[in-house]
This record gives sequence, structure tokens and C-alpha cells, in this order.
Amino acid sequence: MNLFIVMYKEIVDNLRDRQTVFYALLFGPVLLPLLIGGSLVASFKQMTIDYDAVTTLSVVNAEKAPTLMEFLYSNNIDTIAAPDDVEKSVRSGESLVVLEISDDYGEALRNGSPAPLTLHVNNADKDSAKATRRINAVLNVYEQTLSSLRLQHRGIDPTTFDTLNIIEHDVSNEGANGQLLASILPFLFIMSMVMGGFYLAIDTTAGERERQSLEPLLSLPLSRTSVVMGKYAATVCFVLLSSALTALSIYILFRIFPLEIMGGQVRFDGPSVARAFFLVSPLILLISAMLISVSAITRSTKQAQTYLGVLMVIPMAPFFLLQYLNIRSSLTSMSLPMLSQYQLLENTVLGDAIPWLHVALSVAGTLVATAILLVLAARLYQREKLLD
Amino acid sequence: MIVANQLHKSFKRLGASRRAPKSEQYIAAVKSVSFSALDGCITGLLGPNGAGKSTTLRMLATLIKPESGNAMIDGHDVATQVLQVRKHLGFMPHNAGIYPRLTARENIHYYARLCGLTRKQSQQRTGELIEQLTMLKFADRRATGFSQGQKTKVALARALVHRPQTLMLDEPTNGLDVMATRGLREIIRQLASEGHCILFSSHIMQEVAALCDHIAIISDGTVVMEDSLNEILKRTGQNDLEDAFVQAAQSLNHGEDE
Repeated sequence: MNLFIVMYKEIVDNLRDRQTVFYALLFGPVLLPLLIGGSLVASFKQMTIDYDAVTTLSVVNAEKAPTLMEFLYSNNIDTIAAPDDVEKSVRSGESLVVLEISDDYGEALRNGSPAPLTLHVNNADKDSAKATRRINAVLNVYEQTLSSLRLQHRGIDPTTFDTLNIIEHDVSNEGANGQLLASILPFLFIMSMVMGGFYLAIDTTAGERERQSLEPLLSLPLSRTSVVMGKYAATVCFVLLSSALTALSIYILFRIFPLEIMGGQVRFDGPSVARAFFLVSPLILLISAMLISVSAITRSTKQAQTYLGVLMVIPMAPFFLLQYLNIRSSLTSMSLPMLSQYQLLENTVLGDAIPWLHVALSVAGTLVATAILLVLAARLYQREKLLD
Repeated sequence: MIVANQLHKSFKRLGASRRAPKSEQYIAAVKSVSFSALDGCITGLLGPNGAGKSTTLRMLATLIKPESGNAMIDGHDVATQVLQVRKHLGFMPHNAGIYPRLTARENIHYYARLCGLTRKQSQQRTGELIEQLTMLKFADRRATGFSQGQKTKVALARALVHRPQTLMLDEPTNGLDVMATRGLREIIRQLASEGHCILFSSHIMQEVAALCDHIAIISDGTVVMEDSLNEILKRTGQNDLEDAFVQAAQSLNHGEDE
């Protein structure tokens, strides 16, 4: 009963604190996904070429190669006349790529010698480099067509020159892009949990000591344990809110940005995000317990911020660990809090099957760690030193 | 009613080496404190800074446990009957310690709820206290910009919220202006006349002399003299409390030298 009174008061109190609200409701759930997820999606977009989109290409001497122009046109590339100063135009970004057909192009083709084409590109410019890749790809297809025509003309089977036929068979469900994107998801969840409860935990424990409001509070007829647990419950509420909002914003973010460009195997649809949230949810309890017990040691908000700043490495550790080492899901890794959630969430997003045993181990491991931290926090509140 | 009997408490010295002898590792904040405070009476705990006043009050408020000696609040032992003691005791520490983002009313209401009052009872009791301590003007403002006097009133209301028989105030007039101090004295006298036992700690002689019926002089962790103002003056042969205090404190040092 007292627990709920303390919880309710701390929530009301902290909802009036702009800093706490900003970090719980905006920083983790909105700003982080937009910054990290958004920039990631944008960079994939830049790398990926959509061959179906119609684009325009400036061509010098277009009239010298009517067949090529037709081929380009049939590959969704409209040709327009190039500006007078080609180099300046490409450098300034006015034209992304300019194709120059040399005067002896037609002659060389007729003679069966290599026909010269010049591409004016600006590789320092991302858009230009991307357009170049697309043009090059189309030109390569055209070249192959011409080559096989020439060979057939001379009575040679074109496949004679294909000495090796290399087939890459990717057995993973996901591409490399998907892997990175999948590891971002637990990172976003855990960061928003930490940030969501961070200031409330500090304010209710170290802040209360600093304001010297702890002394009268503890002289009231209630147990210290119910005070700590009330503060813990308030932290849990904020962390829960923050992570639920993060799930929502991740869902919306990937609704706006189509995922087909990343190969299409990464799942951020409603059920997947919901499942991810369910799998990561035990961490709400653990991270809140971590925040409360660490800030219970500290005397001032400043000290608490320093301690918790260092502590922030723990939620991020699995992210970097998994980037460097390829740790496979095992029974050991599944009983480790944080690490297990990272792996489970990656599997969820990539559409891999998750054994129930793994889920159970992950939940159990996290709850045990939570219980240990809560006992520690309650012990810390029994100390006489608390009032120094 | 408060009865303290040879309370003793020592703290670990900061940075003390573990190999040092025990007497050097620990520092006695309260050596031997014995006094009593009766119902309907204002008792002053008078002593300079660092004499052990706050530590004594903390032991009485069950925040820390005495190492030896014992104390009873309205017949309940502070070491063993913690919850009973807390129910009978209102404690206002030397810093108001109110929540700046809550209004005065919310600050009091929170304590009322924690003391076990229902929502309705809490609202009623909070309203009563706001009226009794003339806080109506600022009751529904957030406490951030409160003056020291306003903060003290809120803290006092919180200490009184569960109608405790015994009230302990740790240097309540610190930082108050003349008018606020007078107002607070009025309230304290009123509470005493209603039959409450009031323990009032201070280092200001005039204040204790003006307000208290009964005075316990504490110096260097020990209560050296305990009596009414007139008796203390008579016993020390002095005309005012300040001289009497110096005399009493010296007699302690004198006693140690011998």
C-alpha cells in the first residue's frame, strides 16, 4: 500500500520535471530511433539502385549511336542533350554523369574494333557515383550483347569465353545489411530504457538525499523497504513507458521507410515488433533495478550521473561484442541478461525460429539478476550511512 | 514524553586506518545523553554546533540505533519498537526537506497518506493544518520559490500530520526572519498548551531562554545540566543563560582534566 503511495508521488513529481520527461518520452523513443534508424535507412537507400526508376542521362553526340540510345531508353534511361561545358557541369553537380560518344564510334563498331565511349563522372559526389554504377551496369549488358553478336557472326559459341560459372549460394536468411539493422533494434530498446529511467532513479534516490528530504521521510511509520520498492516501481513505470513508445516509433519508422531496399528479409512489421518488445520486456525490470541500486549508493545527483554514465557501458557491451565476435546463440549466452535479449531480438527481426527454451532461459536469467539487485538496493537503504 | 538514558553513539572516522586502535578509528558523536521532556512542556536541547544535538534527535527518531543506553518515546523503546515510536513522534529535521515540484498541499498530503490516512482523511487533515498554520495563501503553489518561513511551515505541518503526541524540532528557527520566528514560537506554545511534548534543539541561547520551560545543556556529546531556566541560573550563579552555559560547559572540561 505504502509502496503505491510512494510510486504515485514519484511519478507525479517527476512528470513535472522537464529533464526527466524529455529523456523518458522524447530522447529514447523518438530522437534515438530517428537518428540511428533514419540515418541507417538513408545510407542503404543511397547504396541501392532502383533500376525501374526512370532517370535522365546527358549525352554528347547522341545522334552517332541511335541503337545504344534505344537500348538506354528501353532500360528506363531517357537521354537528353549534354550542356556545352561538360566538365564544369559534372563538377558542379548539374549533370550527374555525362556520356560522350566519340566521333569514330560508329566506324569502330563497323570495323569490329573496340568502340570508344567516355563517361564523365564525379566520384567525390555520392549521387554521381551512384548514377555511374547504374549507367555502367546497363552499358555492360549492352557490351555483352554486342560481344556475343560479334562472336556468333564469326561462327563461335559465345559461351566458349565463359570459363567459370560461379554461383554464390547464400544460406543465411538475411543479408549483411539485415544483420546490422537487426542489432540496432535491441540497442535502441535498451538505450531508451536506460535513458527513460535514468533521471527518475537519480532524482528519487540521490536527489532525495541531496535535498535532505530523505530524513523526514524515513522517520515516518513505514518500512524502508516499501520506500525503496515504491521508488523502484516508479522507475519501472517510466522505463516501461519509454520502451513501449520506442516500439511504437520503430514500427512507424519502418512503415515510412520501405524495407525492400534492404533485401526484404528484415521484419519490422507489427507482430515482429510486438514479439521483440515482449522478448526485451524482462529488461525493463532489470534495468530499473540497476538504476535504483546504483543511484542508492550515491550521495548527490552529480555523483549518480557519473556512476550511471559508466554503467551505461553494460547495456551497450553486447552490441559491440556481437559486432566483433560472432557469438552463436547457446544455452550459456541465453542465460546472460542483455546478451540474450540482443540475440533473441536479432533472430526475431531476421525471421529465425526461436526455441522456447531460449526464451525461458533469457527470462529466468534476467529475473534472477533483477532479484539480486533489488535485495542489494533494499540493503543499501537499511544502512545508517544513508543519512550522512 | 521523551526519556533518554545514557545514549551513546560513535561513527567511523573518515579515512581512518584499519590498523589504528579502535579508539582512534571511531569518534563519539554522542557520549552520554540523559534527559527527559514532559508532556505539555517545551524542552530545549541547547548546545553549540557539533555538540551532538542532531545525532541525539536522530536516535530518538529511530533513524539510527544507539550503541548503548536507551530512550523511550511515550513508553516505546526507540531501539526495539520502531514503528510504535514513529507513530507517536513528529520529527522535523534541521532542513525542511520538502519536495520543490509539489505544492505545499501535496507535500503534506503525501505524508498523510504514508502515515496510513485514507485519501479522504488525508485531504481533511491537510486542510486543517493549512488553516491552523495559516498557509492558505501559498497552499496550492509549488514549493520551488518558497521562503524559508514558508518551507518551515510546510515541514512542520508534515511533522504534525499524524497527530503525534511528541514533536521534535531540530533548529527550526534557522534562517527565519523575526516575524516568522515569532509566528513559529506562537505555534509551538499553542501545541504545548494542547498537551504535546515538544523537544526543541537550538544553539541560540536567547531563543531557548525565551521559549523553553525546561532546558538540557549539551556539550561535547554529553548533557551537562538539565533544569528549568531559573534553576540553571541559580545553580551556576549567573545572570543569563549564556554565562550559565559557558560555566556548565567548563565544568565538564574541568571534570575531564582531573
